[in-house]
Amino acid sequence: MLQRYSALALARAALGRGDYWRPLWGRPAPEAAYDVVVVGAGGHGLATAYHLARDHGIKRIAVLEKRLVGYGNVGRNTTIVRSNYLLPENHYFYEDSLRRWQTLSRDLNYNVMYSPRGVVDLATSDDEMTAYARRGNAMRLAGIDAELLDRKALARFVPALDLDAPRRFPIIGGMLQRRGGTVRHDAVAWGYARAAAALGVHIVEDCEVTGLRTAAGIATGVETIRGYVAANRIVFAVAGHTGAIGTLLGLRLPVETHLLQAMVTEPVKPLLDTVLIYMHPHGEVYLSQSDRGGLVMGGALDGFPSFTREGQWSRLEDVVQSAVALLPQIGALRLLRQWAGTNDQTMDGSPLIDRLGWDNVFLNGGWCYGGFKAIPASGAACARFVASGTAPDLIRAFRLSRFATGHMLDEKGAGPFPARQ
Amino acid sequence: MRLRCPHCGPRDVEEFEFRSLVPAAGAAAFERVYERVNFSGQSTEYWQHVHGCRAWLVVGRDPSAGEVRAVRLLGAAP
Repeated sequence: MLQRYSALALARAALGRGDYWRPLWGRPAPEAAYDVVVVGAGGHGLATAYHLARDHGIKRIAVLEKRLVGYGNVGRNTTIVRSNYLLPENHYFYEDSLRRWQTLSRDLNYNVMYSPRGVVDLATSDDEMTAYARRGNAMRLAGIDAELLDRKALARFVPALDLDAPRRFPIIGGMLQRRGGTVRHDAVAWGYARAAAALGVHIVEDCEVTGLRTAAGIATGVETIRGYVAANRIVFAVAGHTGAIGTLLGLRLPVETHLLQAMVTEPVKPLLDTVLIYMHPHGEVYLSQSDRGGLVMGGALDGFPSFTREGQWSRLEDVVQSAVALLPQIGALRLLRQWAGTNDQTMDGSPLIDRLGWDNVFLNGGWCYGGFKAIPASGAACARFVASGTAPDLIRAFRLSRFATGHMLDEKGAGPFPARQ
Repeated sequence: MRLRCPHCGPRDVEEFEFRSLVPAAGAAAFERVYERVNFSGQSTEYWQHVHGCRAWLVVGRDPSAGEVRAVRLLGAAP
């Protein structure tokens, strides 16, 4: 049962004997059969299970996880949420997600610390300003907020940024999405897990899926290291390892696995109250300051396929150099931690939500750079797809067949080169 | 990670650029461009020593262990 969080509950716990709070979710053993089995207890898997239970009344749902809730990319990203995409298929989808982020703490009764601190894409050339004007106009036509900032407006919005500092790639302006910002990533995993468990979803950790059993053209269940689990419908939400699932099922997929690093400095007093994205010809960095005070940074992919979850030193150097070029005052800070996550990188940089090989098997993956910010919309839409059998309009463009039919969603215009998407 | 370039010797990975996975022999054009088989244990890839001798290389790697197994010049016998 859900233990609701409120001021009253807090007072009750404070006056109690210290045994008031209960675990957020249980540790059920997997049962022999479920209606829906979701593989992967990351953001997308948990959100899908939550919406299947809440919106579609599905009773017997299990989320099977190889390791622990939140071990993968939901706990490894740089916590940024935004919907500033150029292509309609992308910006409508990410806008749906951003609107859900705005109310998610209330919906889950769990504080995910959505902070609309703004996301600023910085421009280093007139060409880039033109591209931002185009992207911002596309967004505004769709009813999404976007503002073009000239040098003066940018200096006002980000006081920490000294625009007169000498830089190899000087900053001349930017584009701001005010409702973009950050969300506490771990809280998203925990909040969805708690809310799903309260609706009766079984979250089974330490339960690696090792195979799919099929009969008469449909899937009948999954093999796991804890035995066979039968299921009417199966959802793979294992972004980062979608390629490995393809190999397991004997399918070729439009995806490669690449590493994306992130790092955080020691905590300092408030310096930066927004998210900065600085892309220049020799590298890129996106950074924000966490509530604890650390500057959280990330940059480009490591550049070649890997499942190691270790980052290359050269990429870490690139990211830090870009960050220090941007904010020279952070040059004396020490890095506290560095980590990496495995990304599904698709051939056009956009996600994959579709049936996978069999009529009752679904794929939710291919998230590239957009996984974390997509969680609420992805969970709701994927659940509707699984429950009704028809893909909602919001995610129809993310089908697997788009590469064969020529309907790529190449937001960056990079072509079928996953290492650059 | 380091790659041993047949011309330049062992050099840091930042001197090289990963180009693509080597497609299966006989794969159709669509398959070569858009589809992948992701082997977690063994991967054969085209790389280029872009910040060195600029040679194209065929690299055998284990993407799970992060180990380089073999490097040879493109066109050289395996």
